Amino acid sequence: MTGRVFRHEWKIVLSDIGVLLFFVVLPLLYPLVYTLVYNPEVVTDVRIAVVDNSRTGESRELARRLDATPAIKVYAYASDLNEAKRMMAEGDVFAILEIPSDYARSLGRGEQAHVPFYADMSLLLRFRSCYAALTDVQMAMSASMLPTIIDSTPLSALAAGRELSLPIKSESNFLGDTEQGFASFVIPGIIILILQQSMVLGICLIGGTSRERRRRNARGIDPEAVQGAGPWATIWGKALCYVVFYIPVTIYVVRVVPEIFSLPHYGAPVEYLLFLFPLLLATAFFGQSLIYFMKERETAFIVIVFTSVIFLFLSGLTWPRYAMSTLWTWVGNLIPATWGVEGFIRINSNGATVGECAKAYTALWILAGAYMLIAAWVCRRIDLSSRIRAAREDEPRKQESV
Amino acid sequence: MGSRKTYLFGMVLVPALMVVFFLSLLRPGLPRKVPTAVVDLDHTPLSRSLTRNLDSNEMIDIVGGAESFDEALAGVRRGEIYGFFIIPANFQSDVLAMRTPTLEYYTNMTYFVPGTLAFKGFKTIAVTMSGGVVKTTLQNLGVGERESAALLQPVSIDAHPLGNPWLNYSIYLTPSFSIATLALMIMLMTVYSITMEIKRGTSPEWLRTCGGRLSTALLSKMLPHTVVYVAVGSAMMWAIFGYSGFPCHGSLAWLWVGMVLFVIASQAFALTVVSILPNPRLSFSICALFGILTFSFTGFSFPVESMYGAIGVFSWFAPTRYLFLIYINNALNGYAVWFARWWYVALMVFVPVSALASLRLKKALLNPVYVP
Repeated sequence: MTGRVFRHEWKIVLSDIGVLLFFVVLPLLYPLVYTLVYNPEVVTDVRIAVVDNSRTGESRELARRLDATPAIKVYAYASDLNEAKRMMAEGDVFAILEIPSDYARSLGRGEQAHVPFYADMSLLLRFRSCYAALTDVQMAMSASMLPTIIDSTPLSALAAGRELSLPIKSESNFLGDTEQGFASFVIPGIIILILQQSMVLGICLIGGTSRERRRRNARGIDPEAVQGAGPWATIWGKALCYVVFYIPVTIYVVRVVPEIFSLPHYGAPVEYLLFLFPLLLATAFFGQSLIYFMKERETAFIVIVFTSVIFLFLSGLTWPRYAMSTLWTWVGNLIPATWGVEGFIRINSNGATVGECAKAYTALWILAGAYMLIAAWVCRRIDLSSRIRAAREDEPRKQESV
Repeated sequence: MGSRKTYLFGMVLVPALMVVFFLSLLRPGLPRKVPTAVVDLDHTPLSRSLTRNLDSNEMIDIVGGAESFDEALAGVRRGEIYGFFIIPANFQSDVLAMRTPTLEYYTNMTYFVPGTLAFKGFKTIAVTMSGGVVKTTLQNLGVGERESAALLQPVSIDAHPLGNPWLNYSIYLTPSFSIATLALMIMLMTVYSITMEIKRGTSPEWLRTCGGRLSTALLSKMLPHTVVYVAVGSAMMWAIFGYSGFPCHGSLAWLWVGMVLFVIASQAFALTVVSILPNPRLSFSICALFGILTFSFTGFSFPVESMYGAIGVFSWFAPTRYLFLIYINNALNGYAVWFARWWYVALMVFVPVSALASLRLKKALLNPVYVP
């Protein structure tokens, strides 16, 4: 029986353009569009205005150094702070560097010069880029000025003939997304979410359409379904169809897409394909459980689409899971993509093995089991309730005919 | 047409639920206390004091020690820690003998926010440690405190983050994501309300009750929805600025006006789509696709000016983009409404465009054809 449902489901999937839109077009195009949005990776040339009250060679040197960083671009010189603020309000610049009038004097006297940098905070990423550039420029200036400053202090005698360096060096290393690019960080997570959501949308579309057919049918059954198949045969036959359909889709999404855009992908294909199998199975049953809410075909759009945003956050991609409250951690635990994103990112970007993602892997199998039970219950319940309703509606009709 | 439950769910429940979700999830503002580890290969008083300094940094939380690089890296792979700090062997003796030891730290950038915070915490401690040693050395040589500060860092650029000095994530994510969710649901529900008339073949009757005038039919259908969305939008604003006390440095009244225009513009956007493609599947798909992509290409996290031109241009078709800019201009930065004038105008442009497009709709309503 399962085999018959499996073969029949293929026909349903292949003959419904709406379902193919979700099962094929969406996973094919979305990863490309998303990557194109974020592919510039880093924020460069953030426009700033400079208010130079010092007007000396030293102050122009500072502005030049900032302009020379990839992150910052000196867009304009303003005559005073008010003019610069106006530029910021108009959206022409995103930050203001105000060099004080005593800037060169302080440097000459061997005192620390303070330069305020006012930044627009509409986007943290812009600020982050600028901030890193400011730090680099400050450190570079320290290094280049140190010998001159030392010459003007009593230290010069002491430093003579010795190589000057800091007593402790430090070295930072980035793991995974080594270039700190935005696409490299966000795409590996998003593609897993796309796998889950596209499959769920397609399953719900099939489910909602079948519910409509049941409503129109006098006996409350779906005439286009395999007759006589019990709930277990139905959900397994369908789930296997979706999983098999999604194997090539998954390979494209997790293997080809990162290749096209040269995103980080260190993990071994065997590891992540093995890892993603229970994700597909859990999603196939998760989708069949959600059919409970699908009264008609179009409900899928209203009920499922917005959840992508919630699931993205629950997965911990943007807001880490350790900082979530118990409630949201648990809601997240119930979503296959949460574990899928977590494990896949670690395998793909950090080169972990399935063994090192044992918790996520086990959770996916548990979810597959749990949603299998729920899906079977939903399948039975829809069948019973629509047949009972049909029988009830049929009664007055029979009495009329008598 | 359509079920009452579906309308209640899509128009009121989902937008309300999403605001509550974001406010509750992002309440801490910053996910501080990133789980990290220290690999102490030195085991001396100096290395232990460094470990204590790391642990007291507000950005990071030392959840465990590891005995080697490999062990720490495995911790990263298992997802237990987001970064680690290595204190090399002979660290203390190298510092005292001025042999310039190197502190190394690793952060997992596959998780952007915790990775960045851990990096910040590690860097601060490494620089402070190094600076502290220099300062002590200089002061022992008789250099004053101010002079030694100037020696260490002659130019100090002090960043003043305006509007959100706490770098609070909720302040910049909750309003923008709530706006985008509302736009998504307005578009989907508008498509639903119109295409269900076509699907069930009730659209000729709908037109007839309005005297065959398309404008009356559309207005009488969409205006009550406008009232509901404005009420929902007002409640969202109250939840964000009133109940949760998010900063609003400008005028809430002007922001509210922007919200009303945004609601109408989103309805107009959906009407335009339905008029061009009066088929549930296609118009739903376009609105869902556009609505979800709005979260990305309107530049809430990655700025529009950094995107490829061909992608960034889409942001100007989204009503969400304009309300987002009005929010930034008004609430976050407190600039005069004059500076946001064009965003208000842009929101108004959606209405005449949809009126033009809807001229096509009448034919589809008179001869409803449902393609599943």
